[in-house]
Amino acid sequence: MPFAEILPLMMIGAFFLLLLGGVPVAICLAVTGFVFGYIGFGPVLFNLIPARMFGVVTNYTLLALPLFIFMGIMLEKSKIAEDLLDVIGLAMGGLRGGMALAIVLVGVLMGAASGVVGATVVTMGLIALGPFLNRGYNKAIASGVICASGTLGQIIPPSLVLILLADIMGESVGTLFAAALIPGLILSGLFVLFILGLGVFAPKMVPAFPPEERALYSGGDIALKLLKVVVPPLSLIFLVLGSIIGGIAAPTEAASMGAFGSLVLAALYGRLNLSVLKDAVKSAFVTSAMVFFILVMSQPFGLAFRGLGGERLVQDAFAMVPGGLNGQLLFLMLILFVLGFFLEWIEISYIALPLFIPIFQSAGVDMAWVAILVAVNLQTSFLTPPFGWALFFLKGVAPPELKTSDIYKGVIPFIGLQLIGLALVFCFPALATWLPNAIGW
Amino acid sequence: MMSFLKQMEGGASCVVRIVGNVAAWSGLALVLLVAFNVLARYLFSFSSVALQELEWHLMAVAALFGMSYGLNQGGEVRVDIFYARFSGKTKAVVDFFSNAALTLVAIYVVYLSVKYVQSSYAIMEGSPDPGGLPLRYILKAAIPAAFTLLALQALAMTLGALRLIVGSPDEAGQH
Amino acid sequence: ADTFSWKMTNAYGPGSPFYVEGPGSPTDFCKKVEAMSGGRLKIQHFAAGELIPAMEGFDAVRSGTVEMNAANAYFWAGKIPAAQYFTTVPFGLNFQGMNAWLYHGGGQALWDELYAPLGMKALPMGNTGVQMTGWFRNPIRSVDDFNNLKMRIPGLAGKVYSELGVDVKLLPGGEIFPALERGVIDAAEFVGPYQDRRLGLQNAAKYYYTTGWHEPSNATELLINKAAWDTLPADLQAIVSSAAMACNLESHTWCEANNAAAMVDLVENFDVKADVLPKEVVAKLKEVTDQVLADGAAADPATKKVHDAFFAFKKEHDLWASISEKPYHNLLG
Ligand code: NA
Ligand code: NA
Repeated sequence: MPFAEILPLMMIGAFFLLLLGGVPVAICLAVTGFVFGYIGFGPVLFNLIPARMFGVVTNYTLLALPLFIFMGIMLEKSKIAEDLLDVIGLAMGGLRGGMALAIVLVGVLMGAASGVVGATVVTMGLIALGPFLNRGYNKAIASGVICASGTLGQIIPPSLVLILLADIMGESVGTLFAAALIPGLILSGLFVLFILGLGVFAPKMVPAFPPEERALYSGGDIALKLLKVVVPPLSLIFLVLGSIIGGIAAPTEAASMGAFGSLVLAALYGRLNLSVLKDAVKSAFVTSAMVFFILVMSQPFGLAFRGLGGERLVQDAFAMVPGGLNGQLLFLMLILFVLGFFLEWIEISYIALPLFIPIFQSAGVDMAWVAILVAVNLQTSFLTPPFGWALFFLKGVAPPELKTSDIYKGVIPFIGLQLIGLALVFCFPALATWLPNAIGW
Repeated sequence: MMSFLKQMEGGASCVVRIVGNVAAWSGLALVLLVAFNVLARYLFSFSSVALQELEWHLMAVAALFGMSYGLNQGGEVRVDIFYARFSGKTKAVVDFFSNAALTLVAIYVVYLSVKYVQSSYAIMEGSPDPGGLPLRYILKAAIPAAFTLLALQALAMTLGALRLIVGSPDEAGQH
Repeated sequence: ADTFSWKMTNAYGPGSPFYVEGPGSPTDFCKKVEAMSGGRLKIQHFAAGELIPAMEGFDAVRSGTVEMNAANAYFWAGKIPAAQYFTTVPFGLNFQGMNAWLYHGGGQALWDELYAPLGMKALPMGNTGVQMTGWFRNPIRSVDDFNNLKMRIPGLAGKVYSELGVDVKLLPGGEIFPALERGVIDAAEFVGPYQDRRLGLQNAAKYYYTTGWHEPSNATELLINKAAWDTLPADLQAIVSSAAMACNLESHTWCEANNAAAMVDLVENFDVKADVLPKEVVAKLKEVTDQVLADGAAADPATKKVHDAFFAFKKEHDLWASISEKPYHNLLG
């Protein structure tokens, strides 16, 4: 292999070494990008860095990020989130894993409102991590539930991934939205079954509330609390969803309804004062910045990977795949999964998909089905250690006692569940293709 | 020498904190602005191209100036599988090299983006949409400004790490 | 002989037919140039997001970091207001007229003059032909129906509509469908039958209006760094110019054929009601457009120069068109 072709591999290797050595993610990305880009093609292409960075910070679809983060912080700082999950835990009675089930549900609902992965993971991390840990949930399982539920937003429509895939694969956005709904719900169902299973087989990981505490409240008390504490914050999420469905807001701007609503809610609960607001504004700023810092600093890495012809590695590997449509499809899945270790999903889509699409199109494969397989796969790539966006975003809002290794351990079972979901859609294409046909999209 | 490092470090991060404390409010402004644009359109059929563009202008400012402030507040994300087990001194060495590299990266981005802003300023770039916001080069100028602050913050953290490396083992352990 | 290895960026994302892939597209242009030059000029193509974001090609070519960019000149309206005239002008020239102006009516010389101070030059490299007015959830019967209508419509046409009471909503391409389907917006403009069907807009609204008043044709711009261009020997320059001209024709005919088929499909299989905007509405749009264009020309000398030249040519061409093409189209009914 000539030197030029090894460079992108060396860049990836160096990135992993720095990452494991404890260098902050954003710095790993920028440094390896600049150094290996310079070795490969000199400084000329770096003139494009400011344009790429400007593109990130002015990307309209990323507006959902600061808006949802603001909502999450507001719910956290005003203690509304804590009360919410406490009451849900109480209401679940002796059922183990009740709070985790609630978070899966929140993930489904927020997923239906948002398409930006960082937004949902960070928001749910803010809302749920504290209460989970306080209530004795296993740290790893708590992290896994949050990351996995947070990435549901990518498959449950509307979703940024689906919008991009529609464009690349020549399917209509509506078709993909419809095709993704059932697979998205199946994944959520798998998560629910897994948590219920944990409750039976590993009760200590997902404890129910202690009976003494439950005994303090009568059924009527709990019902009243549910009404007072649970309904208002949940209605925020329905406000976001409802504003989309009701034709009030487009998907991205709908996040503002949740953020604005959280302010109103905190005021109604009498918990909005200047110090809470100051605190929330500051935390939201720092948390959003953490996400943008990684996105902005990943620009030199993405540019260098392109400039070094990293996509050729993928092309060369593809040329070696034995024939047969199923073989190529499986190879595509493998490539997406592997690229997910070190590239961001948009870069992955641009590099891997154009290679495969003409083959599948000329073979007459249903592209909506392929798109959903790709979407589930990309969603899994957000979770795969060591480099998964969801993992970093959760780490960014986690207390120091939550270690990276906890998060890694926690997502493994969920990656397994994702793969089961992927296999189901692969074996039963109708799971994806039935709904769009039935409603004529 | 120690006190000089400490002073430099304190001064730099103080500047970052002041700017960050002001810029942080852009997040609240963003929430109110987007909510206003949605509700005013729905309820009163009011819409303005300039106010819609202002949405992502605010996001850009918050995202860019947030970077240095986020670091200042300890908001960086790292894989700590091995890092968590490192001694204080080893951690300080990793931090020293990370932050020194970040300082250089930030200075380089400032250098690159000055040209980018100049080319926008030379033609008085505005919005391509009629009714949009003028003076696009001011928004673009946020890149070099924000990366200057980032370089300052990274430098402060580099000095902080250096202090731990050359300082007494006790001090390093406490970090 | 010297060989050249160039880069071309594109304002459109990977895979888009016409804008990136297919006969007469920018990637096809790169292939044509390589074949015609026997490999002496190789152009590596990067779709939006691969090297730089969609709207950054202008600065990339200007700085010389990439040699070429494919886009529409009206994307640069915030940088050079007069550039819009080289994509399309509301109530301006159709495909025939636009190319007549650019190739033989002094248009190309004005375009070169406009970009020369920035060290760039441009060539037409494609055309969608006439574009559709857009998708409306409810029929448009009079100018009053524009009042408080929420519409996704960027650029000059947006300005014209807003004068008639339309609420202009800016939205990225991917959000048009969900927003229109749920009624966040009442109407949306995109391209034409083939591209619009690809977005699925027929499932979100049923009234599909035409007239093409806002984009009677729409030229693709090949932007070239002038210093790089000057390093090319004359034969390679001729190859680039000829390939661009070939793509201009090939992309347009490709659109004609595919739009025709898509239109039949939309009407027959998706219950789409294709209709022409009422005369009274078009007259009002024309009145406002004239004012908006006049205001733009008054505000910027370079725009005025291009505006005057464009409409002087158009006046001449209109007379010819009205006794050549128009009677024939009327015969078709
Ligand atoms: Na979603
Ligand atoms: Na159009």
